[in-house]
Amino acid sequence: IHLLINNYKSTGWYLLNNVFFSQVGAALPVDVLTYEEKTLSAILRVVSSGLVKLWSALTLLGFYQNRRCAFRVLQASPFLLALSGNSRELVLD
Amino acid sequence: AHEFIDAFVKKGSCYALTYNTKIDQDNTAALLPNGKLILSVDKDTYEELGLQGRPSQYSGKKVMRYIVTVDLTDSGFHPDSKKHNRVLWALKEKKPLEFDFLLAWYNPGAEGSTLMSYFSKKQIQALKPKITFSTLRDLECPVLQSNELQGKPDESCSTEELFEWLGAVLNQVSLNNKSSSFLSTYCCPQPNTMVEKAFLCTITGFIIPEKIIQLLEQLCCYFGEPKLAYWLTLTVHGFADSPVSWRESEHGFHKGGENLYNFVIFRNLDYWLQMAVGTNDDCPP
Repeated sequence: IHLLINNYKSTGWYLLNNVFFSQVGAALPVDVLTYEEKTLSAILRVVSSGLVKLWSALTLLGFYQNRRCAFRVLQASPFLLALSGNSRELVLD
Repeated sequence: AHEFIDAFVKKGSCYALTYNTKIDQDNTAALLPNGKLILSVDKDTYEELGLQGRPSQYSGKKVMRYIVTVDLTDSGFHPDSKKHNRVLWALKEKKPLEFDFLLAWYNPGAEGSTLMSYFSKKQIQALKPKITFSTLRDLECPVLQSNELQGKPDESCSTEELFEWLGAVLNQVSLNNKSSSFLSTYCCPQPNTMVEKAFLCTITGFIIPEKIIQLLEQLCCYFGEPKLAYWLTLTVHGFADSPVSWRESEHGFHKGGENLYNFVIFRNLDYWLQMAVGTNDDCPP
């Protein structure tokens, strides 16, 4: 299953690397498919049975290296293709 | 209201969808080309509105959302009928609902008024879909055989592998990670070929099926002349906050609101059609 997430505070790339792979990754393989510095958003891939664990881990993550952070899941879908078209982002001129 | 129905709903195909409303939070409305007006409203609005509807399929034990369907083309729905008057009273006086709508009308051989002139006294803006083009270079593409849906080991990839790969390409996911990679183990399915240049076109807006059919026909013409490409794809995403997905099946957002379909068209004009829906949806037809 794929999660499109957004990181509120700019703790950066390291957060995704270290936090996931130390706290979540040890128990569950997670792929970080993309990461966009500009929007601080990423796409993660995890096996379906691990979705709840991963989502809870993201929700409970409030601090990293003494800096506050928060993760918000924008979209979750078993289809990666579904993440490429989000009508909620539609902005009309 | 009846002039609108006569001019636009009964002639050609009229489509409308509320803009900037979330199907899991706000009141939403949609007008389908078969003349049905669908209102997806929360419990309070439903009770105040006083129109007959049914509870949402995806509402859980405690019903918080209701769907009201009004058939505008029904023979019983004319200006003198009780039904018509009740609906108008409910929507105009009892609980007036205000929305911004995305509107589209398709009428081949159109004569008479258009939507712009009909709504000229209200706030209406003509919009065009946004189109972007990009060229992807050195792209690893799966090898496909139109008659091998499950793929053949060492010969072609399966439909699921293609679907996942397409998602990866459109989300700019790197395709060549090693299985030992720290970050991501995703890689292009085997067998694959390296394509020097691939063309990607994205069209964003309120696009009606008639236009998509025209687009599909044009894409089929692409293979009218000999081409290097073996196949091309057309992916269509439905609005995540639409009250219906396929036909009149109720659609809910749950965690993503996805409802999409993908055509894979081969050189010999064979095609694959893949359809995907989310949790709060019926299976596509």
